[in-house]
Amino acid sequence: MSTTLTERYISTTITSLPAPLQDDVRAELEASIADAVEARLDQGEQRSEAERAVLTELGDPGILAASYSDRPLHLIGPRFYLTWWRLLKLLLIIVPICAFGGVALGKLIEDVPIGDVIGASIAAGLGAIVHVAFWVTLVFVILERTGSETTLAEWDVDQLHEPRPTGAGRADLIASIVFGVIGVGVILWDQARGFARIDGHGVPILHPDLWPWGILALLAIIALEVGLTAMIYARRRWTTASAVLNTALAVVFLSWALTLLGHDLLLNPEFLDLAFVDNGVQPDTMRVLGILLVFGLVGISAWDIVDGWLKNRRDSRP
Amino acid sequence: MSEPFDTHLQELRRGTVVLACLQLLRTPGYGYALLEQLERRGFATDANTLYPLLRRLEKQGFLTSEWNTEDSRPRKFYVTSEQGLGLAEILRQEWRALASAIASLHETSTGPSTDEEH
Repeated sequence: MSTTLTERYISTTITSLPAPLQDDVRAELEASIADAVEARLDQGEQRSEAERAVLTELGDPGILAASYSDRPLHLIGPRFYLTWWRLLKLLLIIVPICAFGGVALGKLIEDVPIGDVIGASIAAGLGAIVHVAFWVTLVFVILERTGSETTLAEWDVDQLHEPRPTGAGRADLIASIVFGVIGVGVILWDQARGFARIDGHGVPILHPDLWPWGILALLAIIALEVGLTAMIYARRRWTTASAVLNTALAVVFLSWALTLLGHDLLLNPEFLDLAFVDNGVQPDTMRVLGILLVFGLVGISAWDIVDGWLKNRRDSRP
Repeated sequence: MSEPFDTHLQELRRGTVVLACLQLLRTPGYGYALLEQLERRGFATDANTLYPLLRRLEKQGFLTSEWNTEDSRPRKFYVTSEQGLGLAEILRQEWRALASAIASLHETSTGPSTDEEH
């Protein structure tokens, strides 16, 4: 004979309860359900109908069991939710970018085909996203389930952010002009006299063939950067237009540098020989140094672009 | 009835079931009988809320329980403890304070107010 619905209902409910509770809850539920069924029989209902109705009213045994054992019916409750969400957002920004960049750098130095570099880097980035999301959430679920009393830092008013200055002030303009002038001076000095001094005579660091057009382009980019800072200063705030210009300038500078570097036209071969190769640096190492230089250039430009948009967003807030 | 309407009503009623149970269980009672009593006296509660609630109150020491095997089927009888009587008294006072606060709120906002004369 198959078990009755009531027996099945009670067994399902008590299996997830702590052992010492099980028999007691079973006996009490048996009596309560039998009482309720009886009351319906007295009103002339069929036994099977009555049993169904009573169990339906009691609802999902999982919910009833959770209610008996005070288990939460959510993954992460209000006590931990915000901490979980803030930490997750922070890590999801940092970790996948580091994983992507790190693997890309490693693969480039290994000298595998560019398709493999892109594939492996994307896989590493996606893997990092999945891992961060899973493990962070798991830790918080465990905290929630174990009823941990860990009190996470209480909020207080000192945590409110001061609206940060976005670099639209006088100091930024002055800094930009000073660095612009120094940059132009260094470049011209490098071309005229040679910036690096090796064995008593000057050797230019930048390629001699860059003069005049390559150098003039670089000087124009520097002038435009200073001009952009002046424009932002004049308006006292970052705008979408300034963020777009900032992005364009960063891209132009990056293509200037990478194109020349790719054609071995950026750095003076004489300087490289004297400074590195003559001191016993191997060609392989030179290649790695080149890749690191590219990564540095790309990283700085990317940060410059992101920074411009962040400042634009901060300034466009009411 | 609309969804938010229901939610507000439920929230207002939530704590009153505890008070009703503590009061009714001054004389020992068991699950299903208590459920019917509550219903008759206007504290309609679902069985799946009441049964775990009784255990929680017992665990907190506001109720004590005893199995009675003399009836046709063994039943768990609950009775309000000393501590439970104390809790019931505090809840009742709170309820009265709230009731008079709400009543005065109603007077000042609709009836002619004497307070404004000051």
